[in-house]
Amino acid sequence: MNAIDPRIHQALDGELAPATLSGELRQAVERLVTAAALLATPIPAASLESRVMVLIRRPAPSRARRLLGWFVAPHAVTFRVRPVWSLAFAAVVALLTLFPMRHEGPDIGEHEGIAQFVGRFPGAQSVHAVGSFNDWRPGSIALEDVDQDGVWRATVVLPAGAYEYMFVVDGERWVPDRLAERLVADEFGRENSIVIVRPARR
Amino acid sequence: MKLWLGLALVAGPLAAQSARARLEGRVPGAAIPVIDSLIQAASTEGLPTEPLIQKALEGGAKLVTAPRIVAAVEVSLGQLRDARDLLIRAGDEPPVTPGEVTTVTWALRRGLPRPVVERVLAALPRAPRAAAMHAVADLAAHHFDPDSAADLIIAAIGLGLQRERLLDVSAAAAHELQRGRSHAQALALVRGELPNVPASPKPTAGAVARARRPPAPTPP
Repeated sequence: MNAIDPRIHQALDGELAPATLSGELRQAVERLVTAAALLATPIPAASLESRVMVLIRRPAPSRARRLLGWFVAPHAVTFRVRPVWSLAFAAVVALLTLFPMRHEGPDIGEHEGIAQFVGRFPGAQSVHAVGSFNDWRPGSIALEDVDQDGVWRATVVLPAGAYEYMFVVDGERWVPDRLAERLVADEFGRENSIVIVRPARR
Repeated sequence: MKLWLGLALVAGPLAAQSARARLEGRVPGAAIPVIDSLIQAASTEGLPTEPLIQKALEGGAKLVTAPRIVAAVEVSLGQLRDARDLLIRAGDEPPVTPGEVTTVTWALRRGLPRPVVERVLAALPRAPRAAAMHAVADLAAHHFDPDSAADLIIAAIGLGLQRERLLDVSAAAAHELQRGRSHAQALALVRGELPNVPASPKPTAGAVARARRPPAPTPP
């Protein structure tokens, strides 16, 4: 590190008149004064046009970045709600939490539908629907006469498709479903009814 | 290729075994060997076996004698063969699918004339055709002329209706009969409505809530 001549310090501090210095020192003092004056000169600000153009030419941020920016930037969200509505909303949320809505009935698959069997059999003790949907196994689909008016009903979920069936009354009497409108010979001297189960989700 | 060949060789005997197991205790013992051989014959010919099993189970449930059950299963096998032959005549490439054989068997059993079935098959060269066949058969069951019934359903197919929507067409014609129209009027009215026939109602929420799932149903 070069040591600066103390007379230059004194001249810069105004303690010595530069004219009293030797020629070499005087030149050094003048260069330093010029440099200091340059440093003190403010840099002119960029023009408005150039600043706008810089912003325009900057590549637009991606949608994801803008979305991310929106999420991370603070926003003031204000709800103006009457207290009574706030309380009502809170009550509804509390009720739904405490007593969730029950989905009644079985879940029905995409390829499943609902078949309803109805027959009028006054005085019958039992009525069952028996057919190709249950391998002709008596007893698996029981109809019910809930209001004791002789009309027996059952609603069942079955895979979509066509099925032959009959009603079995009191465990021994085979009767076709005359309401079914579709009948076909059973090759045993009787007629089976046909039910077409359509997919429930259409 | 080897895998498929192996699966095909194994699938037949397995299906026959499972069929025999389903018949045991449900069908008179004397009938089981004969029915079993009929099921194996159907399997070998690429025909659906489920209709034969169902016919045997039906006979057993109805307490029919063994010879009559065997006879009914033989009739069913004959119907399946007829249906396969009809499908091939109508232009389906062999081997025809078991599902289509079952569909055509239904149509013939429900009394549709063969030429009518062939016309519907030609109008619907691609499966599934079950709903179309049932729609025509439903109309025939309501004493519509089968040819006119087929005309209506083929017109509906031509206008883009398919699958279960074809059943809505036959239902619409039946409703017109119930309203007192003649068969010709009903056909003309529904044809004029095509393709915007009313859709059948979906199951109500109450029906869904009441519905029960029976134990282990067997797909058709």
